Amino acid sequence: MMRPVDEKESFAMEVETIVDSSVSSVKRYPPEMPHNGPLSSVAYSWILWRILKRLSKSIKVVIFGTKINILLPFGPLSIVLHFLTENHGLVFFFSLIGITPLAERLGYATEQLAAYTGQTVGGLLNATFGNATEMIIAIYALKNGMIRVVQQSLLGSILSNMLLVLGCAFFAGGVVHSKKDQIFNKAGAVVNSGLLLMAVMGLMFPAVLHFTHSEVQYGKSEVALSRFSSCVMLIAYASYLVFQLKSHRNLYHPIEDEEGLNEADLDQDEPPELSQWEAISWLAILTLWISILSEYLVDAIEGASDALNLPMAFISVILLPIVGNAAEHASAIMFAMKNKLDITLGVAIGSSTQISMFVIPFSVVVGWLMKQQMDLNFQLFETATLFITVLVVAFMLQDGTANYFKGLMLILCYFIVAASFYFHTDPEEKDD
Amino acid sequence: MGSMDGRSEHEFEDESLVSPMELTKMTNGLTGIHHGSFSAVEQQKSIDNINTSLLRSLKVILFTSKINILMPCGPLAVVIHHLTEDQGWVFFLSLLGIIPLAERLGFATEQLALFTGPTVGGLLNATFGNATEMIISVHALKGGMIRVVQQSLLGSILSNMLLVLGCAFFCGGIVFMKKDQVFDKAAAVVNSGLLLMAVMGLLFPAVLHYTHSEVHYGKSELALSRFSSCIMLVAYAFYLVFQLKGHNESYERVNEEGGQNEGGTDDEEVPEISKWEAIIWLAILTGWISVLSDYLVDAIQGASAAWNIPIAFISVILLPIVGNAAEHASAIMFAMKDKLDISLGVAIGSSTQISMFGIPFCVVVGWILGRPMDLNFQLFETASLFITVLVVAFMLQEGTSNYFKGLMLVLCYLIVAASFFVHVDPSPVQDKKP
Repeated sequence: MMRPVDEKESFAMEVETIVDSSVSSVKRYPPEMPHNGPLSSVAYSWILWRILKRLSKSIKVVIFGTKINILLPFGPLSIVLHFLTENHGLVFFFSLIGITPLAERLGYATEQLAAYTGQTVGGLLNATFGNATEMIIAIYALKNGMIRVVQQSLLGSILSNMLLVLGCAFFAGGVVHSKKDQIFNKAGAVVNSGLLLMAVMGLMFPAVLHFTHSEVQYGKSEVALSRFSSCVMLIAYASYLVFQLKSHRNLYHPIEDEEGLNEADLDQDEPPELSQWEAISWLAILTLWISILSEYLVDAIEGASDALNLPMAFISVILLPIVGNAAEHASAIMFAMKNKLDITLGVAIGSSTQISMFVIPFSVVVGWLMKQQMDLNFQLFETATLFITVLVVAFMLQDGTANYFKGLMLILCYFIVAASFYFHTDPEEKDD
Repeated sequence: MGSMDGRSEHEFEDESLVSPMELTKMTNGLTGIHHGSFSAVEQQKSIDNINTSLLRSLKVILFTSKINILMPCGPLAVVIHHLTEDQGWVFFLSLLGIIPLAERLGFATEQLALFTGPTVGGLLNATFGNATEMIISVHALKGGMIRVVQQSLLGSILSNMLLVLGCAFFCGGIVFMKKDQVFDKAAAVVNSGLLLMAVMGLLFPAVLHYTHSEVHYGKSELALSRFSSCIMLVAYAFYLVFQLKGHNESYERVNEEGGQNEGGTDDEEVPEISKWEAIIWLAILTGWISVLSDYLVDAIQGASAAWNIPIAFISVILLPIVGNAAEHASAIMFAMKDKLDISLGVAIGSSTQISMFGIPFCVVVGWILGRPMDLNFQLFETASLFITVLVVAFMLQEGTSNYFKGLMLVLCYLIVAASFFVHVDPSPVQDKKP
């Protein structure tokens, strides 16, 4: 980084007028590099100034760039509350709200990084980090042995994406463009529906096997089957990525720009707002922060269920995902209103596919490693809900058009689902 | 006499097969025209004709297909059955022994179809296309092994819809990677509709029984099954009429499902054996398959114990894979030649045939034999069929295929196979729990 001396000097003189105290503090800083002379201190001050400037710009872009970050203080607040009071309801609520902006920023950082890495790795990044929040929450719940919470939160995420997010998007888009139906790329939607059906198949077999009491070893066989099916589903998901990114790129290109959600990433010419290393560092920082908050969140679930007098199923299936998906929700609606329905579909259905074919099997494998009995047997009620929902949505999507009525139907279906889970607890296990 | 010249030409082609003695007989016969009584020469000639055509027939049937290497396994299985108690080996060998016979049966059917014209030919394919599965099922029914019948037919449907179709789509997609292959949507949709109707026919008795809501517990659903089977057979008959009369074109492509040789696709293809030979071979092969099936079915339980695999897995996965091996190979081959309609005809047509004809037919046969064969395939099997038909119907409705769809179907089959690997029938005690 050795630039010509005169350039540095002139720059240093510019800088000096602005930051006096920092320069003087730099002079006191013991130089470790074996440079001598007055130039080294100037060089250091310049380097430090550059770092600080970039850091502040970065912070400005990432933290102050969107309005949703008003919710950021709720995170630390929830931690404080956790140590001060026993009020799990508030801790749960605050950490939930605190995670929302972090999840949104994580999506933003991912999309910024994707702008550097090119389409293939970018698509891969989106495909993996797109649901990082749900994955992190799931892993924490697994560590605590709260298997039902994992299953229900992932299920709820799928249901919320397919019904609520998609429904709102169709509805908003249909209201704005009420003259005629909006259209989207059928091919991508059909492939995703096929994958969702395959995921339902993967979930149905262990559940039905268990509940017809027809396992070779009651209870154990279906866990083994779940683990095998999860590996198969992961292979299917990997092939799906290969298929999307390599062979049929032009067919699926519009849908590929899914999880990254600023208008910026629509145009390839828009310069990214963060540098590559900044994006990576922010990714790491945000992931860490989300992990911390998730831990408090998961710890507070049971207490919140008692305090708020809601069934745990309702909290896991409805509340958690609504908040976790808030950012995707907003962007899907926005793209629908701009008549870019393919991106909306990519966000909504692509996210569902990702969770069902990647995150759920991944959780099973992680559970396997952690020696937790996480399996694909989501119990009959949840499995049946997923099955009928996938059928309804697959049917809605198959003709490639959207209007506000379809959107309204999907939203109303979601209300029915939410109401069902409001009245749902796990049955007592009647073991033989 | 022109035909005689023609035949002698043919014989010179087949010289390798015709023994020198035969040849001298023939030449004697030729020269015999000039001396000796006419009738004796004719008798000699006709005997020679029969001999040579028999040998030619044998050559065509037995030695032209490489798969017939497995033929000795059949007799070997019979021998082992009488020599040892090792049911595992008997089962395995008879299974292997049936494969070439099933393939040759398909060949003979297709050859016969060339003589009888498209209508009867289509009918022949429709009936004999799954003769192997039918024969095995009838033997199992006679032995009172109702669950084996149900599970092997179910497994045949699943294997055709997922494994055969998936492999065909996958291989075709790999060969034609640039763009999606297309197939005739209409035929696929009709078949999907029939499959869904079959699922309905199976679902009602099962659900009726398991919600404990029959008028006479256990007996009502048997009566319902028999009635539904008759209805399904009527539906299948109409389907045949619909295909053969109204939609001759599209059916002709499906017609080739029995023809495993490339020869079967062109109508101008000269049949390799005569009509009577085809009928005779059909009878012989059916008889042989019947014999081997007997040993196969007897050995199932022993094999399950010997290999420590659930009977469900053997019936649902192993039996059909082998029974369908020939169709499997031909479906893949047609897909790689971009004749996806024929692949679909083989795979989905076969599934439709089993579900709308094979299964109801077994129920009726069971009725006649006095066996309680019903359409209640138990909840797990019925649910598997239901979800599979839905997945496949959904995949097919678009009318295109690529390697990824094929891979998805194959992976679904893996999940199904794994489920049946850990599946046993629930013990009846739990059945009575409310």
